Amino acid sequence: MIVEDIRRPPSLSAAVRLLADLGDDARLVAGGTAVVLMLRQRLLSVSTLVSLDSVADTRYRGIDVLDGHLRIGGGERLADVAAHPAVRGLLPAFAEACGAVGNVRIRNRATIAGNLAEADYASDPPAALVALDAQVDVIGPGGARRIPAAELFVGYYETALQDAEVIAGIEVPRPTRGVGSAYLRFTSRGSEDRPCIGAAAVMAITPGGRIEHLRVVVGAVADVPHLLPDVLADAAGRPAADEVFAEIGAGYARRIDPLDDERGSAWYRRRMIEVHVRRALAEAHRRAVR
Amino acid sequence: MNPMPDARDRVRGTLPMTVHLHLSGMLHAAVVRSPVAHGELRGVDATAAHAVPGVVAVLTAVDLPGPVPHFGDATDDQPVLATDRVRYAGEPVALVVAEDEHAAAAAAAAVELDVDVLPHVTDADEALAPEAPLVHPGGNVLRAWTLRHGDPEAALATADRVYDDVYESPPAAHVPMEPHVAAAEWTDEALTVWTSTQSPHVVRETLAAAFALPVEHVRVCALNVGGAYGAKVVTTIEPLAALAARHVGRPVRLRLDRAEVFHTLVKHAARVRIRTGVRNDGRIVARLIDVVWNAGAYATNSESAAGYGMLRAPGPYDVPNVAVTSTAVFTNTVPAGPFRGAMTSQLCWAYESQMDDIAADLGIDPVRLREINLLRDGSVYPTGEVMHDLHYDELLAVLRRELAAIDVEPVRPGHARGQGLALMIKSTLTPSHSECRLRACADGTYELHTASVEIGQGAHATLRALAAAELGTTPERVVVYQPDTAEAPYDSMTASSRTTFAMGSAVQDAARQVRQALAAGRTPPFEVIGSWTGDGGLDALDEHGQGPASTHWHQGGVAVEVDVDLETGRITVVRAAGACYAGRVVSPVRVAHQNEGGMIFALGPALFEELGLRDGLITNPNLSDYSLPSFRDVPRMRSAAVEAPGADLHGVGEMTVPPTAPAIGNAVRAACGVRLRRLPMHPERVLRAILERAEEVPA
Repeated sequence: MIVEDIRRPPSLSAAVRLLADLGDDARLVAGGTAVVLMLRQRLLSVSTLVSLDSVADTRYRGIDVLDGHLRIGGGERLADVAAHPAVRGLLPAFAEACGAVGNVRIRNRATIAGNLAEADYASDPPAALVALDAQVDVIGPGGARRIPAAELFVGYYETALQDAEVIAGIEVPRPTRGVGSAYLRFTSRGSEDRPCIGAAAVMAITPGGRIEHLRVVVGAVADVPHLLPDVLADAAGRPAADEVFAEIGAGYARRIDPLDDERGSAWYRRRMIEVHVRRALAEAHRRAVR
Repeated sequence: MNPMPDARDRVRGTLPMTVHLHLSGMLHAAVVRSPVAHGELRGVDATAAHAVPGVVAVLTAVDLPGPVPHFGDATDDQPVLATDRVRYAGEPVALVVAEDEHAAAAAAAAVELDVDVLPHVTDADEALAPEAPLVHPGGNVLRAWTLRHGDPEAALATADRVYDDVYESPPAAHVPMEPHVAAAEWTDEALTVWTSTQSPHVVRETLAAAFALPVEHVRVCALNVGGAYGAKVVTTIEPLAALAARHVGRPVRLRLDRAEVFHTLVKHAARVRIRTGVRNDGRIVARLIDVVWNAGAYATNSESAAGYGMLRAPGPYDVPNVAVTSTAVFTNTVPAGPFRGAMTSQLCWAYESQMDDIAADLGIDPVRLREINLLRDGSVYPTGEVMHDLHYDELLAVLRRELAAIDVEPVRPGHARGQGLALMIKSTLTPSHSECRLRACADGTYELHTASVEIGQGAHATLRALAAAELGTTPERVVVYQPDTAEAPYDSMTASSRTTFAMGSAVQDAARQVRQALAAGRTPPFEVIGSWTGDGGLDALDEHGQGPASTHWHQGGVAVEVDVDLETGRITVVRAAGACYAGRVVSPVRVAHQNEGGMIFALGPALFEELGLRDGLITNPNLSDYSLPSFRDVPRMRSAAVEAPGADLHGVGEMTVPPTAPAIGNAVRAACGVRLRRLPMHPERVLRAILERAEEVPA
């Protein structure tokens, strides 16, 4: 089927109404870097695209630093998020993840809302946002609701979004003093390849140098980003030391059943999980004590 | 003059290319392709395809008035549309012609094929087994070449040490940015084709043979080509466009999508067994090489290509006793064809990797071991030729100097660094022939018609500069026309690093004639034909591969430093130097672009490019799953060209491609002691090798 119509609603609520009316004949498009590829590859067939280019809602645009959190409009381009001083300063893991997606041409078009809604298992921002405990603001036919990032991704290219729901923006808790975060992306082929594995770590350190709180998420190795609270359960109170980071890396490697594909066998991915979880923790720790 | 006059338009996408062409009344074709690697074609149901609005025709082999045209290089074995048998997944089975591309694609997807699946074979060694499925009735060996020089078995038996290794290269994809595109138009019994090709005259001759036309009834035109790397040397989609246009009686264009490009032509996968006998002092006394090339399902140019491979197999060394067998084998895979550094990269990977292993085993520095054995002027090559104009000693010196001139960051903990280098020798297309037409105009300008194709390498700027220098005028007064076989006389192809030398020589010949005629008082307008011929080559060899193999020998080398992450196995090339023997440099900028571009191109097949196969199907025919080098993978680089006073011009398009992978492999060995013998050097393979080696070392 050929796309016959491109609609450009002026607001998120108008977009929701259009999507609800058109049903399966329509697909939402933001930057177009995923949807257009899918159309060209004939993986997707719709007659109408609902573009968010003209949406004027303030909550869909801009990056605001508020008291308890950062609010990032869903329509923000990945390149803009990656370059934003507040994101780079406060949420380096998120800046690193947004700056790692595709290449500069992709990042100049792709939006953060589009990236999350696509739920590509081999993308970077999802793991970082789950680690940072972000909340996803959604508007739909039933009104607005908020989904924790950890619950947004439910399978390969599948989210908890319901029909005609649109991501308006995200809120990420603002880290306090003694918190560091890092996202490490590992590509096993070309540098612009999708990741073989991505590891995100957020660590809070006590003044005495012990781990106060920890979130570690591994992406691109399975259907959804993996956060394993039980592997992290006894980390609190332990010294922020390389042996502890290595133990956690080994724990993640043991517990995840990784993919086996051109980017690496399951054996290799397991080893890379171990290495990159440890390295992400070490980097998050360096930033936490800085 | 700007050394790259088309660069700005090329980057912006504003350069005129075949895809921009619109012919009046032009229709669009789409190809229905075999979904299986090997099968009996029972029938084609086009009912649903005919019902798609805008469809003009659906064409299969049985719809043709006569037998289906076949085409090829030396052997016309490839049907334009499969008849009763499909031999690779992706083989064209039917054509849909429609008013627009969308309708054609939609209708092509609606064509249903009835195929009985047959057992298939995709690996060349397996295809040689007695019980292997036959790709063609005559057997799976397409062509076997042998070379014998001296008494290699006896010399191997008496050598102090013998090294016996197998090196493998997988199939890889060229991935030109511009996909294949061709438009065809018939008038009475004459055919005109516009196509993105490297070889207008090859396409012309192939089409004339396939459609039983006198060659003068076929006209082939090319515009700027958006990358080729060998993918557009042989005839590929032009017969499909011609067949569709003849059937509907209107001009038809066929433009491949990215997945189709992956299913059109690939790099020859190769398995190389190399046995080398060496004296304790480092002198190589014997070398026996057995190469098996995966030709895919049809011959294309693999018959001669395997012969060229045979000639290049021994490497740039003075070896008195040599035996080579070089065998091209049919399999149920996409036909293989020229791939920048063709029939050389796979061999250089073997002989230059083994060279460093020999050096380590003998305790000799790798550069010194090369110096002991290098071909020099007066050396006898294994073809029996006495070599001249060789410059490997200078290349070694230049490579080391240039690499050292590049600054690098200090090594980090957990990483290892190492340096490696490699040299290569490559014959050029021989025999080959180039002609051009040069017109002196009344207004003092000159018009140059050649079939040499501008692919972004700057061929036209080079030809223009050579003509202007010989004419004693400025390049601005010489206009170089795009290839059109109605105007441009014969040229073999824009490939094999031959254009600067072969067509350049023809242009210089023409310019000399014009200059002499002007001096003798002839009044413009008038025109001359310039020509150049290189004799010998494959046709001139005896049954032992002895004879004048190449017009001249291409010489190049690469030196690199790599960084290996010991926990992940990931290789980063941190600096690289590429050097070529250029004879006489026409443009230093364009030579540097070729040397640098060659190394960047070669990084992919060295480190991660590989076509995956499962059940006879390519698993990664798209740019998400087939990874390419990006600019973030490009090391700090330097380039150098060795020149010689009064020397021939040399093309330089491939000189750094073959040595890149073995230079990296040798650097990895120097960094962490592991030897990889299978490309690509994926981090997982490197890590496994590091771990295996660690276990061998007693605690």
